[in-house]
Amino acid sequence: CSFLSSEMRFHIITAAFLWAAFVESRKIRGISSSYKRFYRERKSFLCIDGSKIIPFEQVNDDYCDCADGSDEPGTSACPRGRFYCTNLGFRPHYIPSSRVNDGICDCCDASDEYNSHARCQNTCWNLGQKERAYVEGQMKTLDEGLRLKQQLIEEGVLLWREKQAQLRELQRAAEDLQIKLEEHRKRKHEADRLKEQTLKALKAGDRGKAPSIFRTHFKTFAHFAELFQFTQLGRQANKLTILHLTHLKIARLCLCAASRSPLKIPPYIWRALFGNTRGAQSQQRRIVNLSDLLFCLAAEWEAADLKKVEEAYETVNMEISDLQKKLEIDYGTDWEYLFLNGQCYKLKVYEYMYTLCPFNTVSQKSTAGTEVSLGLWGMWAGPAKNRYSQMVYENGEPCWQGGSRTTSVTLTCGTETGLRSVKEPSKCQYIMDFETPVACQPVLKQRGVHSEL
Amino acid sequence: MCCWFFLRRMGPVLLLWVAVCLSGSWAVDKGNFKTCDQSAFCKRQRAMKPGESPYRALLETMELTNTRLTLQLINDNNKVRLLLELYRLQGNITRVKINELKPLKPRYEVPDVLIREPPTEPLSLLSQDENGVVLSLGAESQRVIVSARPFRLDIVEGRDVLMSLNSRGLLGFEHLRMRKDTFSYKVTSTVASVWDNIKRVFSSQADPEAENKEGTDPANPAETAKEEEEKVEDGMWEETFKTHTDSKPSGPSAVSLDFSLPGVEHVYGIPEHGDSLKLKTTDSGDPYRLYNLDVFQYELYNPMALYGSVPVMLSHNARRTMGIFWLNAAETWVDISSNTAGKTVFGKMLDYVQGSSETPQTDVRWISESGIIDVFLMLGPTPRDVFSQYASLTGTQAFPPLASLGYHQCRWNYNDQEDVRSVDAGFDEHDIPYDFIWLDIEHTDGKRYFTWDPHKFASPKEMLQGLQDKKRKMVAIVDPHIKVDTNYKIHNEIRSRGFYVKNKDGGDYEGWCWPGSAGYPDFTRPDMRAWWASQFAYDQYEGTMENLYTWNDMNEPSVFNGPEVTMHKDAMHESWEHRDVHNLYGLYVHRATAEGLIERSGGVERPFVLTRAFFAGSQRYGAVWTGDNAAEWDHLKISIPMCLSLGLVGISFCGADVGGFFKSPSTELLVRWYQTGAYQPFFRAHAHLDTPRREPWLFGPENTALIREVIRQRYTFLPYWYQLFYLAYQTGEPVMRPLWVEYPQDPATFALDDEFLLGRDLLVHPVTEEGARGVTAYLPGKHEVWFDIHTFQKHNGGQNLYIPVTMSSIPVFQRGGSIIPRKLRVRRSSTCMEHDPYTLYVALDNRRTAEGELYIDDGHTFNYEKKELMHRKFSFANGVLSSVDLEPNAQFTTKSWVERIIILGASKPSMVTLKTADGENQLEFDFDASMSVLTIRKPGMNAGADWTVTLQ
Repeated sequence: CSFLSSEMRFHIITAAFLWAAFVESRKIRGISSSYKRFYRERKSFLCIDGSKIIPFEQVNDDYCDCADGSDEPGTSACPRGRFYCTNLGFRPHYIPSSRVNDGICDCCDASDEYNSHARCQNTCWNLGQKERAYVEGQMKTLDEGLRLKQQLIEEGVLLWREKQAQLRELQRAAEDLQIKLEEHRKRKHEADRLKEQTLKALKAGDRGKAPSIFRTHFKTFAHFAELFQFTQLGRQANKLTILHLTHLKIARLCLCAASRSPLKIPPYIWRALFGNTRGAQSQQRRIVNLSDLLFCLAAEWEAADLKKVEEAYETVNMEISDLQKKLEIDYGTDWEYLFLNGQCYKLKVYEYMYTLCPFNTVSQKSTAGTEVSLGLWGMWAGPAKNRYSQMVYENGEPCWQGGSRTTSVTLTCGTETGLRSVKEPSKCQYIMDFETPVACQPVLKQRGVHSEL
Repeated sequence: MCCWFFLRRMGPVLLLWVAVCLSGSWAVDKGNFKTCDQSAFCKRQRAMKPGESPYRALLETMELTNTRLTLQLINDNNKVRLLLELYRLQGNITRVKINELKPLKPRYEVPDVLIREPPTEPLSLLSQDENGVVLSLGAESQRVIVSARPFRLDIVEGRDVLMSLNSRGLLGFEHLRMRKDTFSYKVTSTVASVWDNIKRVFSSQADPEAENKEGTDPANPAETAKEEEEKVEDGMWEETFKTHTDSKPSGPSAVSLDFSLPGVEHVYGIPEHGDSLKLKTTDSGDPYRLYNLDVFQYELYNPMALYGSVPVMLSHNARRTMGIFWLNAAETWVDISSNTAGKTVFGKMLDYVQGSSETPQTDVRWISESGIIDVFLMLGPTPRDVFSQYASLTGTQAFPPLASLGYHQCRWNYNDQEDVRSVDAGFDEHDIPYDFIWLDIEHTDGKRYFTWDPHKFASPKEMLQGLQDKKRKMVAIVDPHIKVDTNYKIHNEIRSRGFYVKNKDGGDYEGWCWPGSAGYPDFTRPDMRAWWASQFAYDQYEGTMENLYTWNDMNEPSVFNGPEVTMHKDAMHESWEHRDVHNLYGLYVHRATAEGLIERSGGVERPFVLTRAFFAGSQRYGAVWTGDNAAEWDHLKISIPMCLSLGLVGISFCGADVGGFFKSPSTELLVRWYQTGAYQPFFRAHAHLDTPRREPWLFGPENTALIREVIRQRYTFLPYWYQLFYLAYQTGEPVMRPLWVEYPQDPATFALDDEFLLGRDLLVHPVTEEGARGVTAYLPGKHEVWFDIHTFQKHNGGQNLYIPVTMSSIPVFQRGGSIIPRKLRVRRSSTCMEHDPYTLYVALDNRRTAEGELYIDDGHTFNYEKKELMHRKFSFANGVLSSVDLEPNAQFTTKSWVERIIILGASKPSMVTLKTADGENQLEFDFDASMSVLTIRKPGMNAGADWTVTLQ
């Protein structure tokens, strides 16, 4: 920008000297063709910043006269100067003038080492070839990448819809479960009440009341036919599962509470309840009032059932919130990064195996087998114009000197999706290169080889 | 880098333990290191109180030859006799040696530190009576007075006493003795007495007088020792510190001596300590300790020992500068007391007004654990004289390759070749020059030095060639601890040749260091050193080429599981205990490595080797840095006195880790550190493994620009740095020096250590305060003028000048009267600037004169020894600037020319004429009247030509 203003000033000043416009300019070393107009040969030269007028012989005379270095574009005399490598056949570029004649070949056309020991070859053509081949390759990659990206975008949209559907389904299931839950709560409440009543009645010796309760709540008991069905089916007591045993243990407790029960319990149930010990055998004589037992059992059974439903409800809710969280993440404008969530990518670097699970975790596993977290999904951290070019994972395992491990993942365009490199430039700060078609940007296509003819 | 960090690799339990320790405090665990009270010999010796010395000079035993005086001393308490030798050495040095007359076995005398047997001058007897002897010390009116009862030495010039030895009666000399409570003592003493009897029989036959003599004056220490009861104290025959027991097979063997310096209030030197330039009195605490130790996160402003030791102290007052060089490599403590130290300025003034002041005096006392007393009294009288006296004994600074004066980029660690390549590219991208990139321990194959990690550094030559292509270089670390691993060639060879240090039981000594279990080559052996040197040959040290140089770390030696993190004192170096040679070990490692680098080039190329441990004489082998400092402002400040102290005792090539090794610097601290480091001799940024990256371009464009600017400033001054190092190599004068060295009569300079001089001509007052808005610099010299090197503003000397500062300010001044050649075309590396033209900065003094020098050679070989060099003198007087050859016999041609002459404090001439052998021509010039700066455009003559430029 400062150039622009000085350029304008230059124009104003040079207007007075316009007679020189037709003078053929001699080849001035180190300038681009667009700058040639500043160096038209005449008696004097005006520093481009307008600060000084010097005799034209002092341009490129290996002494720095202009503060902006403009009088020495072709020598190393000015500390802030720059030298233009024409690099015919390759890309032209500027180098700091301190690299002119320093014995190191910087311009591929060797133009910077015109007065040094360095024997520089003109490598522009080769470089150009290579660059063109490279760019061609890049273009191919880009084309292929963009094509794949389109697919992934399409898939992403589908995936997004699928996930949305999944969410809705889960929400429906949750609603159902909630209804069920309330039902179960009611039932448990009732069963608890009955149990309470029965126990009270038993304690009071009011045995006659119990069967009536049994009758009134026949339905409830019918619910527990299952238990007996089960025990009947499993004539051998050892077929009772652990799950049932838990219930049976509870039943046993109830049984003890309601000690004087009239009902005779079949031995296999007894065994199931008390085990096959000698003590148990002697207890066999005890007669249990089945209805009392059932009241006790019903309460516990209802409780267990309620718990099951509660758990199912919780699980569904968790799934919902997981999915919601997942869907809250920014997967790009077209959900093109969505497919990465749920995948993991591995790369071995020296003695370590690195795993990147995008939007989730990054970890490192040594050959010795210890796994260390290098961070949890944090955010997109690319620059404003391409924020999807970088991810940050934070709050990994704490570090020796305080702080915690963090990983920064740079996404680059490629035809395949995978982890390409991992580095740890400073302790606990990891840098990963992650290649994927979705990182391909159409703008890349505009880059290419220019050469000045 | 420090040892304790290895623990983290040893497992989570230790990690937790260390973490707990760390969380408590960030500083050194003082409990890991001994105080004087915990060091038995120091405690014993320090318990001696000044008073009547038991030592008496036996004047009748005096023998005076042309070159030396010998005299026996007797301790009247135990009748043990000592032999005093006194030499007058060339160049106003007096050497005093005291050893047992007949020690049970030889006591260690430090070899390889003196560059030669110092040439003597005749001593002559002036007078003698029963009280003492007076000798003349050469041509000046200097005399040495030997008093007999009690023994003391006074060095006198005219009517002034310069220095007195044993004037406080603190000479202590623990004679070697047999242990009385052991079986071997009984046997040996019986044998000894039988032997004595036999001897007596024979000697009486041969020389009847001899027996007579012995009868009247029992001189045999073995005999007398038996007669009196030696007080046996704890720690004489065994000493335990923490979990380590020192078996002390030779028993007590300490030596100590006091020195009084009348008229002296300022003493300096005895590095290495993290303390002020002016040494403090030690009455209220521990003495300064000299014992090479790997101290984890050292604290500042205390007398604790650090990585290196140079037992040389300088004393200074407005009339005279002197030095004491105590040549002893064992653990040493130095006590300093002063009769004025406690006095306030007011008290001193009161004394002055009332005229009642006693003469100020500083008393010093040296205590060493073993060896002998061998002390060189360097009698000045000027600071330069003392430098040249010390240089005549231990040699001068190795003349470094020019590139090593550039900027060094280091980090623990650059991870792999790709990392090296990208950091290298970063410098080019940000247009910041550098010469060396460094690799720390992680570059090796499992901490096996002389190897490369097969994955991370799979093709080191390719990497080195990549650097070479940009005219840059690399340093790789080679530490002296060798992994015990039978698959490791270096270990196998050292073991099979028997080159390892041995433990007290005769097996190879093993300790823990970076690789785990490690052996320590016995570098005190010449054959070991020769073998070590041979390992640097290109065909031995695979993957190396000529642009790879070496860094010796951990050479105190550091032994993680040893007492005080170093080697057991009863480990054996052939017949000597580690106790005797400890402080010398690092010097030998450094030396063997430097010799290796010389040898690999067939003796052609100058080596560059950095060492952490050092001793007197280490200057001959390369550079030294101040070890594992921290990213704290105080550590930045202390880098100045630490390097000044080293410079005073010959070690000019000194630097501190820029940015601080431990912890992470704030951006401001980092920038200030670069600004300071750029004006210190060894300029290297370094960082701990656990700190975030801090390459110069990682702190935003503004800070990158600040750092770029200061590194570029460094490179513009390289011709001056190089010339200063040539001077240091020739004369021993420090490159970075305290102001008092150049202004010895100005007491205002005596304690300054927040600013310094480079040579005589550059005054640097770095900004070392956080958030500083300004600094106050003392500009010395009432008749001097000083020019700000950035603005060319002129300031008068003899004043405290307040300088407002911003983040870009580095207060540096060029002395009026000097001419400094600079190269303003800063390139990628110093080598790229080889043929570049010079700009001469001529700063005129009040008499409108100036002088300066220019030294040029090839920058990297020893050919300067064959006079392939160019050394020119510039002078400006009466409006004429001229260049004359200082070395007409030398041969060197340069492509460099003079592109610009800038005269500061000039008036506007009407015409400027250049006269060379080719004729005369007019030069263009530009005059800035506001600052009185005359810039002469493109005189163009070759830097090696004779020429004059006349202003009319």
